[in-house]
Amino acid sequence: MELVKKVLQGDERSAARLISMIEEGLDEGYEAVSLLFPYTGKAHIIGVTGAPGAGKSTIIDKLAVGYGRQKRKVGVIAVDPTSSKGGGAFLGDRVRMRAAEKEEGIFIRSMAHRGFPGGIAKATIGAAIVLDGLGKEAILIESVGAGQTEIQISMICDSVITVLTSDYGDEMQLMKAGLIEIGDIVVMNKMDKPGAMEAAEDIAHYFASRKDKPWQIPVLTMEARKGNGVERLMTTLDLHRKHIEGDVEGKSTKKEKMKQLVLALFKEEAWSSIMKKIQGKATFEEIIQKVQDGKIDPYKAVRMALQLALPKE
Amino acid sequence: MHDTKRLKVLIAKPGLDGHDRGAKVVAHALKEAGMEVIYSGLHRTIDQIVNIAVQEDVDVIGLSIMTGAHIPITQKLFQKIREKGIGDKMVFVGGVIPSRDIPKLKELGVTGIFPGGTPLAETIQFLQSTVKKE
Repeated sequence: MELVKKVLQGDERSAARLISMIEEGLDEGYEAVSLLFPYTGKAHIIGVTGAPGAGKSTIIDKLAVGYGRQKRKVGVIAVDPTSSKGGGAFLGDRVRMRAAEKEEGIFIRSMAHRGFPGGIAKATIGAAIVLDGLGKEAILIESVGAGQTEIQISMICDSVITVLTSDYGDEMQLMKAGLIEIGDIVVMNKMDKPGAMEAAEDIAHYFASRKDKPWQIPVLTMEARKGNGVERLMTTLDLHRKHIEGDVEGKSTKKEKMKQLVLALFKEEAWSSIMKKIQGKATFEEIIQKVQDGKIDPYKAVRMALQLALPKE
Repeated sequence: MHDTKRLKVLIAKPGLDGHDRGAKVVAHALKEAGMEVIYSGLHRTIDQIVNIAVQEDVDVIGLSIMTGAHIPITQKLFQKIREKGIGDKMVFVGGVIPSRDIPKLKELGVTGIFPGGTPLAETIQFLQSTVKKE
């Protein structure tokens, strides 16, 4: 395919077009990904997650500049939420990535998550494959920033950075499932804020108690806006990459992630094909009507809809 | 497996002009109307704007200009998008645009011109109908 050839030759316009095709779910786009796939797998895919305003875009900006200095080519995918009303999105992460934009060979793509769960979009992994094919050596993915439930980002990344600030809450927040299960590296950002040092120490303590794992999750302190702590983050990312490539557990984690990713994408596709079958059907509308009128409970409605979509023989 | 195509719009602030209230209001309105809007931030060069348009693969480029330099800026934009092979993108201009300059902007290739005070609904309706036709 001509488009694939052009991407492999480093043509940005073709890469950008192909990412749009994947976003639109065009068969042609998926076919191109399949053709591109054998040429990829070399890039270090790094996810950045954390609450809105924690400093994800700024950290990506600084990392991109740091990698640029090392002559590593960088791709960025910045995911922002799609509005639940009307399906539009305001994609503004580029505004904080202006130093990165100046780096030679950098490619930044904004992406609306379009309702996909887990802090990324359905097309994010496709876009990462395209950027890998385009020759990017480090691919930085910024998640939506909803916090605890952004598990999907870890499925598509080799290394995930969880960005916190001193107002992350307390130990109770850490003990809940979620945020820290996602990350391989924890960054306490905005060290200039009051209470940041204490917060960083608390978190470091928390992780120090979990010595059973082969990869000890490091807690790094940063003031990303000023560039403080970027060098150390870069070194730690390299160490983590070495770890997952060399470690037996690292390899099996990667296999498990791939399985989870396929299941997540399958769920999405299965859901849209099932919805296509029943949406607009009178019987389906009746079920919805019944539950709206309080005649049946929501579980009953779901079971009826399922029977309608996938009737038991 | 067809997902709906969504209109993707770049709202860009070229040059020295430091006022982006209007650009942000337009960006917000387009988002509310179901479009995916990329905002460039202030003080962008034409090269940067065109670069963003390429990487983001937008359908439409909207320039917000309040400095009076809309003609040379637009001229340069068209020259650059043609060089980069994206001369087919739709371009619209908003901001402080005297009516005497409208014919000149159209001649340069601008599809829609929305001077300050244009109702937002008009801009939205224009974008939705014009891009669909293409």
